[in-house]
Order: sequence, then structure tokens, then C-alpha cells
Amino acid sequence: MDFVILSFVILALGIYGLLTNRQLLKVFISIELIAIAATLNFVTLTSAAGVGLGQAFLVLAFSTDTAVSAVILALLVIVSRKYGTGDIRQILKTMESKEEGESEAYDND
Amino acid sequence: MILEILAIGLIVSACLALFLDEAVYSVASLAGTFFFTALIYALDGAVFVAIFQFAVGVGTLTVLFLSGELLSEKVVKKTSPNKALALIVGGVVLSFPALFLSISGSTSAGVNIAFGNGLWTLNGMDVVLQGLVILTVALGIFIVLYEKRNGGK
Repeated sequence: MDFVILSFVILALGIYGLLTNRQLLKVFISIELIAIAATLNFVTLTSAAGVGLGQAFLVLAFSTDTAVSAVILALLVIVSRKYGTGDIRQILKTMESKEEGESEAYDND
Repeated sequence: MILEILAIGLIVSACLALFLDEAVYSVASLAGTFFFTALIYALDGAVFVAIFQFAVGVGTLTVLFLSGELLSEKVVKKTSPNKALALIVGGVVLSFPALFLSISGSTSAGVNIAFGNGLWTLNGMDVVLQGLVILTVALGIFIVLYEKRNGGK
């Protein structure tokens, strides 16, 4: 049983999900999976190297991770409330049509 | 044996969290991922980290359960039992490399250190690579802002 390969598999799953999913919730879950892979790798390496200090670093990593997750979630909620959907393609389409409308209005002026 | 079962559970729950269609089931699977990760940490000797992971996971899941419906589509198709079964089987298959292969202890990085130890000992490389990533992102932002200021001319 190898935890490095396990964390690589979870990292690959997270990156695949990040690239293929178009739901904001799934994007957030993919980012969480990538963070889990990183911390799992970190725990394994500290155990393998016998470094007790690693756990202290991990607490810092968790804190950063949580802060990043909170900011991402807040941004996703703001975006989904602004555009009324959680679909990334629909959000991009709405943004593009809005930008085109604004440029046409600017040209008419 | 327990660690192997936990590893399979971790990957299966990660697959379910990513590919299930319903938001509630997806978040519930993510809860399973956090739970299995915390158990693996505890069995690996990092009990303090496991408790921290559990606390962070509970907080994240509470917020996700509250905002999950907002972030997902209103009309969503239900996951068929065949798809759920295929996801579970796929997760089990994906966990095979972790169960049967090993790179941590067997290979050496040329200076007689194991792969896991090497990754930890040579973490200066990690700092350099992160610096390169940050520089690339900064360069990308600079180019985008420059193009935007010049109006794409």
C-alpha cells in the first residue's frame, strides 16, 4: 500500500473533475479533492521521513486551505446569485452577451 | 488491511462526489471522503491532524449543505443505479495502483534516498517550482491587463 500513489490518484481525479465539470459545486469539490491529495501526501512524507515538525506545518496548511475554500465558496455563491445559474457555460454566455450589448451601446453613442 | 479498505473507500467516495448528479448525494460523498481521510491520518500516527481534518471537514460540509442547492442546477436528472455501480467499480479499480504498486520505499533518487524521503528532503525544489508558478501567473495577468488596456490592438 503506497500513500504517494494514492494521493496521485486523488490529485488526478481532482484535476480531471476541474477540467471536465461545468457545475460550480463540482468545481469546488474538485478543488477540495486536490487539497486532500496535497495534505495526504504531506502527512505520508512526514511519516516516512520521521519529521514531527510536519504536523505543525500541516495545521498551517489546513488553515490556508480552509481560508481558500471559504473565499472560493463565497465567490461561487456571489456568481451564482448574480447570474441565476450554477452552470459555467451559461454564465460565460451571459457575460459575453452582456459585453456585446455594452459595446454596441457604446458604438451607437 | 484496514488501511487498504480505507484507501478504497476514499477513492470510491471521491469518484461518487465528483460524478453523482444530485448535489446532496455529492456533498454526502464528499463527507465520506473527509471521514476516510481523517481515519487514514489517525492510523498513520497523525492523530492531531486527523482531528483538525475532521473539524475542518464538518465546517466545510455544513456550509456546502446550506449552499449546495444554490450552486447546482434546479432541474437535474437522477443518477441511475447502473451509473452509481459503475462509479463504485471504477473507484475500486482506480485504487488498485495504490494497493499493489510501490514507489515510496523501493526506488532511489540516485543519492541513496527513498522516493518519499527524497520528496521531503528536497522540498527546496518545491519552493522553486511554486515560485515559477507564481511568476507565470503574474506574467499572465500582466499580459491580459496590457491587452485590455490597449483594446486588443
